[in-house]
Amino acid sequence: MKCILILIALSSFCFYHAGSQVRKPGVSMAERVQQLTEMANAKAVLKFNGNKFRDYVKATPRNYSIIVMFTAMAPHRQCMVCKHAHDEFVIVANSFRYSQAYSNKLFFAIVDFDEGSDVFQMMRLNTAPVFIHFPPKGKPKNLDTMDIQRIGFSAESIAKWINERTDINIRVFRPPNYSGTLALVVLFALIAAILYLRRNNLEFLHNKNMWATGALFFCFSMVSGQMWNHIRGPPFVHKGQNGQIAYIHGSSQAQFVLETYIVMVLNGAIVLGMILLTESGNRKRDPKKRRILAVAGLVLVSVFFSLILSVFRSKTQGYPYSFLFK
Amino acid sequence: MIQAGTKKPPTSKLNNKTGISSLIIFVVLLLAWIAGFSSRLFAVIRFESIIHEFDPWFNYRATAYMVKHGFYNFLNWFDERAWYPLGRIVGGTVYPGLMITSGTPIFSGLTAISTYLLTKELWSVGAGLFAACFIAIVPGYISRSVAGSYDNEGIAIFALQFTYFLWVKSVKTGSIFWACMSALSYFYMVSAWGGYVFIINLIPLHVFVLILMGRFSNKVFTSYTTFYILGLLLSMQVPFVGFQPIRTSEHMAASGVFALSIAVAVLKYLQSVLSKSEFKSLFIFGVLTSSAVVFFTVVVLTYTGYIAPWSGRFYSLWDTGYAKIHIPIIASVSEHQPTTWFSFFFDLHILVTTFPAGLWYCIKNINDERVFVVLYALSAVYFAGVMVRLMLTLTPVVCMLSGIAFSGLLDLFFKEDAIQRPEEIEPEESSAVSSKLYDKAGRVPKMKHEQQPRETDPIGPNVRSIILVVIMLLLMLFAVHCTWVTSNAYSSPSVVLASYSADGSRQILDDFREAYFWLSQNTADHARVMSWWDYGYQIAGMANRTTLVDNNTWNNSHIALVGKAMSSNESAAYEIMTALDVDYVLVIFGGVIGYSGDDINKFLWMVRIAEGEHPKDIRESDYFTENGEFRVDSQGAPTLLNCLMYKLSYYRFGELKLDYRTAAGYDRTRNTVIGNKDFTLTYLEEAYTTEHWLVRIYRVKKPDEFNRPRIPVANRLVKSSSFSSKKNSKRKKGSIKNKPVVIKGKRLSKQS
Repeated sequence: MKCILILIALSSFCFYHAGSQVRKPGVSMAERVQQLTEMANAKAVLKFNGNKFRDYVKATPRNYSIIVMFTAMAPHRQCMVCKHAHDEFVIVANSFRYSQAYSNKLFFAIVDFDEGSDVFQMMRLNTAPVFIHFPPKGKPKNLDTMDIQRIGFSAESIAKWINERTDINIRVFRPPNYSGTLALVVLFALIAAILYLRRNNLEFLHNKNMWATGALFFCFSMVSGQMWNHIRGPPFVHKGQNGQIAYIHGSSQAQFVLETYIVMVLNGAIVLGMILLTESGNRKRDPKKRRILAVAGLVLVSVFFSLILSVFRSKTQGYPYSFLFK
Repeated sequence: MIQAGTKKPPTSKLNNKTGISSLIIFVVLLLAWIAGFSSRLFAVIRFESIIHEFDPWFNYRATAYMVKHGFYNFLNWFDERAWYPLGRIVGGTVYPGLMITSGTPIFSGLTAISTYLLTKELWSVGAGLFAACFIAIVPGYISRSVAGSYDNEGIAIFALQFTYFLWVKSVKTGSIFWACMSALSYFYMVSAWGGYVFIINLIPLHVFVLILMGRFSNKVFTSYTTFYILGLLLSMQVPFVGFQPIRTSEHMAASGVFALSIAVAVLKYLQSVLSKSEFKSLFIFGVLTSSAVVFFTVVVLTYTGYIAPWSGRFYSLWDTGYAKIHIPIIASVSEHQPTTWFSFFFDLHILVTTFPAGLWYCIKNINDERVFVVLYALSAVYFAGVMVRLMLTLTPVVCMLSGIAFSGLLDLFFKEDAIQRPEEIEPEESSAVSSKLYDKAGRVPKMKHEQQPRETDPIGPNVRSIILVVIMLLLMLFAVHCTWVTSNAYSSPSVVLASYSADGSRQILDDFREAYFWLSQNTADHARVMSWWDYGYQIAGMANRTTLVDNNTWNNSHIALVGKAMSSNESAAYEIMTALDVDYVLVIFGGVIGYSGDDINKFLWMVRIAEGEHPKDIRESDYFTENGEFRVDSQGAPTLLNCLMYKLSYYRFGELKLDYRTAAGYDRTRNTVIGNKDFTLTYLEEAYTTEHWLVRIYRVKKPDEFNRPRIPVANRLVKSSSFSSKKNSKRKKGSIKNKPVVIKGKRLSKQS
């Protein structure tokens, strides 16, 4: 969605073999439905080139809807989005193919730019992917082009859009994703294996430093809003119009990914300072070291706390307090 | 401050150490209580002594009902004034704890004391005092317990902390008494807030981790079994909870751990009977089978339907994308959004940057009860990250851990100092705001310090005093930050709005109460008012009128129906409104004063929720322009410009010129001139609009009132007979049509 491939150079030279394939001008509607149903039974998503597109989509009369995805899957087009869109589209088509509602009123098709660039020209398309619904009667209207900018192209939203346009309700059935489960199983197996191999030397499980560091990292990541990043997916940094880069979001309602990393580091430095300060009070240590620890801790706490306070201040309107730095 | 000063001389005379330290503890806690209480009074002082938020109005109404009709009638209360025409069984759908014990700001003091007790059990007295002072003024907790807010969460945190304190106490002592007390306190928590699920999962988790760590003992066994059985029975006495503790997945972890702890206890007993090698194999076998049996029982019971699976609200905590797709009504509430780092810092300030240090030392010096606080911190920080609202459960543990960090630090730096210059802390007690911080900071080492072997100070007095000053400055910053946040962010009520004019003077906009007062005075007692659910409790509480939907969002389809009425055009909406017997419609409109929380800005959620239930009639995409924008000006989508909500908000607004510079119909909230200016309402009529147009109330016309369409004469079923008057200029005398003709005749003679 973010990087919809713009096929600027809509190749002027089209593969227009009008005569190479025998056109069946007089194919009746019943025959067309028959052929389409056969093809769809074999494969839920039909692959169309220019001729087939004209035969099945442009031909009139029709009594079926057809959803066409215009895409550019060839590797040299470097359309990453098309791949995802294609996967989602196939999920919808398969859900329909194996559902109760399956009928010969709706078909799914794909037109690839490298196989049917004439179709792209005919439809005046210069981006990919595009989803267009061809209704049984008349030409596609404005709303028959799915607005992927706004609603995205997840299988659920495609199904919802199809429901809006054709009144056919497709319940999206995703093939269960075993990769997550598999990864978990492998992880557990690995941990179990390591524990088993080191069963005579399980001391590291009692290593409090390790556990404490882990817990601290978890706290830092939560407190710095990584969960927000995970759910909202903000940009890494903001690039302004004239090239300057904003690392800190100006409003208190949002944040950038880099900003959260900065906050994480600041938090970590303050905590490190606190720990160093406390350790410097430890009587068992070398007196010289204690002094160094104390000074280092003091500097860390005061400097980094002032830093985080000034970052905070820049995001709050009218916040009056600061420490060391403005 | 003053009390600290007056009570000072007797303490110096007393040379009894325990006496001094308990006095100090008492004074510090008292001051924390006072400071906490007074900083919660901002809202009352600046505005008025009324209930400020939306939800509390229901609590107020419920409490009033309970006072009037008694507790048992309250439990059976069927409220026919809410959720018309369905009504609501209130007794079975609320947590009654709040209504029994009210008074939120008082509870902040009790929370401070229970936090002190818990931290004292976990670490030391000094850390406890720090934690108590932190929680008394920290904004993360104040946000829920300012005076004028009347909400479950305020007292729930007290119950939460107190239950945890009693639990830790019972784990430490292994006494049945403390376990029973903690079950009782848990009962109070269950009756107060739905967040009790946090306790009933955290305590089993604690026991489970203790088992894993090999720290399982008879003490843990005694306290957990007692707590579980008593807590289970007691919690089922709350009508709203009912049989949930044995029927839902949220509670299954507790029963699983209960079974597991019994299995482990049996194995422990066998250990004393069997030989070592026999035992080892049996132990591994036993633990594995028992956990497998427990797990599969739960799975099978869930599958067969005896146990309800995770409810959507809890599931959305784990699968963070779940609510957005499946439950728009949860996703629409701003409290259910994830938390930015800004909110963490805003609510907790220095605590959020120092509590990991406390966590570090808790893990380094681990024991049974510190396992608990570590688990508490880790789970609470996760939940707070997922949902802003759960910041409330994180706040106490952050206060405790920061208290541990700061007290550990000051303990070390004051100890040697205190011997050399014990009077050093006295002059610092001048700052009024943070006086208690200084009190405690100064006094903790005094009572703690024992006879230390004197040694040369390697850090040096200079560095030492700089460190102390810096720490004091940081704590002072925290105190002023808390005061600033409390007075600026958490004390602005949503019932009364304040606006600041150019010269800095403050104006109070009291439109809400104006409108509710109008409703209560000028409408029939049984009038039904339709509004979006945010305002349901207020209408019921302040205007005492029947509402269709309110803040207790238990019935999604009813809300969707109201949303559909708001987002349909006038005639379609009229059908819904007559079906629901609506008499008045209330909308919030901020376009005149620039209030951003009005109904037009919430409108997309109404559309989304309506679309979820009525996908055929309402489509979100119809309300956007072709470019996918939501705009109310002339470029806006026609469906939007003709829907009921738009018309009700902007009725007669097109004629209004706010000032001489802007055009007529300029909406200050959305900074644009509205698109549809000239329209009339057919099915409704304006009943009342408040001073700043913030609340607009419309009356729904009865079917015989609105302009009926003219039927051509030819199509009329009842034909009017052609009648021409005989009266003309010459014959002034008219005649009456169908005048009864009197036929003169003879009186009927009596027939004899």
